[in-house]
Amino acid sequence: MMADEKSLGFVVLEMILLVSLGPLVTGIIQKTKARLQSRQGAGVLQPYRDLIKLFRKGTVQADTASGLFRMVPVLVLAATVAAGALVPVVRAGPPAFPMGDALLLLGLLALARFLTAVGALDAGGAFGGMGASREMMVALLVEPVMMMVVFSTAVAAGTTELGVLAAHRGTSWILAWRAADFLGFAAMLVLLPAETGRIPVDNPDTHLELTMLHEGMLLEHSGPGLGCMLLASHTRQIVTLGLVSALFFPLGPVDGADVTGFLLGAGAFATKILVLALYLAFVESSYAKLRLFRVPQYLGIGFVCALTALALRIL
Amino acid sequence: MEVGASLNLMAACYGAGAISALLARWSGRLALAVGHLATLAGAVAGVAVSLGVLLGAPGHTLSQPLLVLFPFARLSLSVDGLSAYFLLVISVVAIAAAIYGPAYLRTHSPDAGPARQAAQVLALNVFVGCMAFLCCAGDALSFLLCWEGMTLASYVLVVSDDQDGENARAGLLYMVMAHGGTVLLMVVFLFLTDRAGAFDFAALRAAAHGLDGSTRTTLFFLAFVGFATKAGAVPLHVWLPRAHPAAPSHVSALMSGVMLKVAIYGMLRFGFDLLAPVAGPLPPSWGWTVLVAGTISAVLGVLYALQQHDLKRLLAFHSVENIGIILIGVGLAMILWRREGAGGVLATVALTAALLHTINHAAFKGLLFLGAGSVIARTHVRNMEELGGLARRMPWTAGLFLLGAVAISALPPLNGFVSEWLTFQALLGGTGLFHGPAGLVIVFTAAMLALTGGLAAACFAKAFGVTFLGRPRTSHAEDATEAPPSMIVGMAWLGALCVALGVAPGYAMRLLDAPTAELLQGPGASAVVTAHGPLVLSTGLTALGTDATAISMTLVAALLIVLAALAWILRRGVRHGAPRVAPTWTCGMTPTSRFDYTATAFAKPLRLVFAALYRPRREVIRETAGTPYVVRRIRYAGEVVDLAETQIYHRVQRGITELSRTIRARSTGRIHGYIGFVLGALFVALLLFGVGR
Repeated sequence: MMADEKSLGFVVLEMILLVSLGPLVTGIIQKTKARLQSRQGAGVLQPYRDLIKLFRKGTVQADTASGLFRMVPVLVLAATVAAGALVPVVRAGPPAFPMGDALLLLGLLALARFLTAVGALDAGGAFGGMGASREMMVALLVEPVMMMVVFSTAVAAGTTELGVLAAHRGTSWILAWRAADFLGFAAMLVLLPAETGRIPVDNPDTHLELTMLHEGMLLEHSGPGLGCMLLASHTRQIVTLGLVSALFFPLGPVDGADVTGFLLGAGAFATKILVLALYLAFVESSYAKLRLFRVPQYLGIGFVCALTALALRIL
Repeated sequence: MEVGASLNLMAACYGAGAISALLARWSGRLALAVGHLATLAGAVAGVAVSLGVLLGAPGHTLSQPLLVLFPFARLSLSVDGLSAYFLLVISVVAIAAAIYGPAYLRTHSPDAGPARQAAQVLALNVFVGCMAFLCCAGDALSFLLCWEGMTLASYVLVVSDDQDGENARAGLLYMVMAHGGTVLLMVVFLFLTDRAGAFDFAALRAAAHGLDGSTRTTLFFLAFVGFATKAGAVPLHVWLPRAHPAAPSHVSALMSGVMLKVAIYGMLRFGFDLLAPVAGPLPPSWGWTVLVAGTISAVLGVLYALQQHDLKRLLAFHSVENIGIILIGVGLAMILWRREGAGGVLATVALTAALLHTINHAAFKGLLFLGAGSVIARTHVRNMEELGGLARRMPWTAGLFLLGAVAISALPPLNGFVSEWLTFQALLGGTGLFHGPAGLVIVFTAAMLALTGGLAAACFAKAFGVTFLGRPRTSHAEDATEAPPSMIVGMAWLGALCVALGVAPGYAMRLLDAPTAELLQGPGASAVVTAHGPLVLSTGLTALGTDATAISMTLVAALLIVLAALAWILRRGVRHGAPRVAPTWTCGMTPTSRFDYTATAFAKPLRLVFAALYRPRREVIRETAGTPYVVRRIRYAGEVVDLAETQIYHRVQRGITELSRTIRARSTGRIHGYIGFVLGALFVALLLFGVGR
């Protein structure tokens, strides 16, 4: 089944939708976690309030930081949001003018991470360096596995273009899955907490130096700069979830160019993201954070699943 | 200007540059200036030659006979698409090196005597000239002469910079390894010339057509090992991380960015042209060996790079990695060439990826070596643990180094990403053609390539962060100032190339048309990869039933710029005032440079994760004041070993030592015994080879 092509304006609309929903996903995860821990918790809109507060604040900058430090939040946000433009949200099918595929999406996310790590070293504190070092270690174990999961679905569809991959998946539900799909999805479930910086790999709620990875890199950012970095984190999370849903779940009505089709597609996307967000919240509430050097073993499960999935596709 | 005339001009420029070393009799600085100017002119002429051939009529080969130096061989030049493309790669980097060189040599070693400067000017011009003419060689003898000239001139440059024992040892190792490789090449060439009765490539090609399969394969593997030694593929790479850093930085840029590519040129020339069978695919063992060697080089190269703290040594190990990535593309093209169906198209994609990565690596590795050179010229320190805080002191160098770091880490929107994307697409297409174990090897290669990208990003976050960011760790870094303008211009030229090849790669595909079409005798690169116009890269795998994977680097780059502008507005926030400056939080202590994360610490998690490969050694010496709880001083020493060195080379070394001991036991010191040995050897040789002639 080949889908219609999307106009550039539609792609931008999807990107805006994705970015504006990013903080909400974080809010839902936080709220769910709070309820699972028998707390009331802040409202689901709290991440938006945090962002607005940060953008209205002034900036404090480390005295050792170079000019690059001020550019880092800008570039990180731009790269992450650009990755958001490559995720099919409401409709499958390739854009009318090609933009990027799954590899470019992963590349843009890697660019954002690289710049974050570089920015963390700029302030010259040990926390930033520690966070950057650990984040890069986890990242380089996650990225190849992520790439292999993408390949395992791409081999079946013959392309790495996400819109076409999603269209290839069709509207059939899990019944059409083969063993390779289950294994690939299992690998993705292992990777998700790592890629979104959550327990058992990272802990987004703490600034305790022994447990943090991503938060350690953000320590020296403040005010609007921190706001940009946080918005980038929210966007990165929803982009990753969007990648998983594009790879493994059928999209909404593919041919829905009218308002009803748009709403149906958006509704289907929201449901999928919600399910994955709830999964993250449950994992975070039911596991303890792993010791850093246990993380490679944990990610090894994902590697084995992804490799087996690929092998099953090829053999 | 006519292309042939440019070729003569190029020769004249490099020749004049070499002769200008004589000017050092009067003034070393004058010799440096004139010599580098001649290199620049030669490189510009080289660009003219290559563009003339690449953009000229398809299939046109420029041939030119040379002086008759030897009675038994007719020397000639022949520039076809492949030659012209590699000439372009060489010339592009040589332009940057020639602009950068004089200021670097003056800043880095201001007290160098005229003799040393003369040697450097002479060797540089011979080096670049030999590389340029090696790619244009039309016969075996000029190929080997240029090959040897290139090796000798680069050896002179390696030992010329800092005249200490370590450089001399690095140079010696380089000489031994390089000549080991040359011997293998000579065997191949002599075998072919013996059969052909002539030296020119056309005759060799015709002679190779009559070979049987096993001889052909043996010859290919001899040539492959010979070239792989020069290219620095694992495990033949041990000389590379020693020799490349020892040379002056612009020569390091040439050695790493270009000289290794000359070996790739040789592999392509032999694999697809001279030794290729008349029809039908290449023997499968060729391509798979190249592919596996490439994968191993890519992963091990970057893993060892990650643990280096010497800036230039780190970059040299990254060359091993990138040669591996190029070899993956070459190997895949060899496997797929002349296969039925989609294989032909896919081979074009793979070869395009390899050739594109060749010029990409030349651009960013050249840029990074020049950037490292600026740092070294200003601080005289190569160990990044003694640097830091240079971004505030050398903003241009830092910015350009960061550009190179992003490019080499295969991150969009720069050029490294484009060629790796093409490699990935070729591998992915390969999984559609191969099933069973062959498919698994390809998939595993793809996974390793992905791992390589992640490792490179980690490595350059470390290299850039520790060298340029944070606080200066020593007074060397504290007192550094920006490099002279000419050095920055040299770097900026390569930086612009990285951006252009990344943002608009479609336009570069036109240059790849001639080499891909000639080697593969199929469609050119742009017909396959830019079938939808120059702004879109697509894999063009219509034969596989899919043509859907298409990306537009230009559009994504434009999107990035727009989004960055919007984010900049957001970043400025509501309060527009200047940011308040405060010291970094260090838990209430006075911040000093000791709080900065070091390179050793940054790489530690990976040292533990990959401990099986690194076999790290760690030594901590505490000096306590009476009780173990009061530590006066603490000394830390650690190192990782290169597995190839300990597992292969040290064993070979021990074996040779053993052998010589055994032989010494037979050495009686009496002349009769020795004459007896010689006679015996002669007798055996006559028995084996002297029959029937």
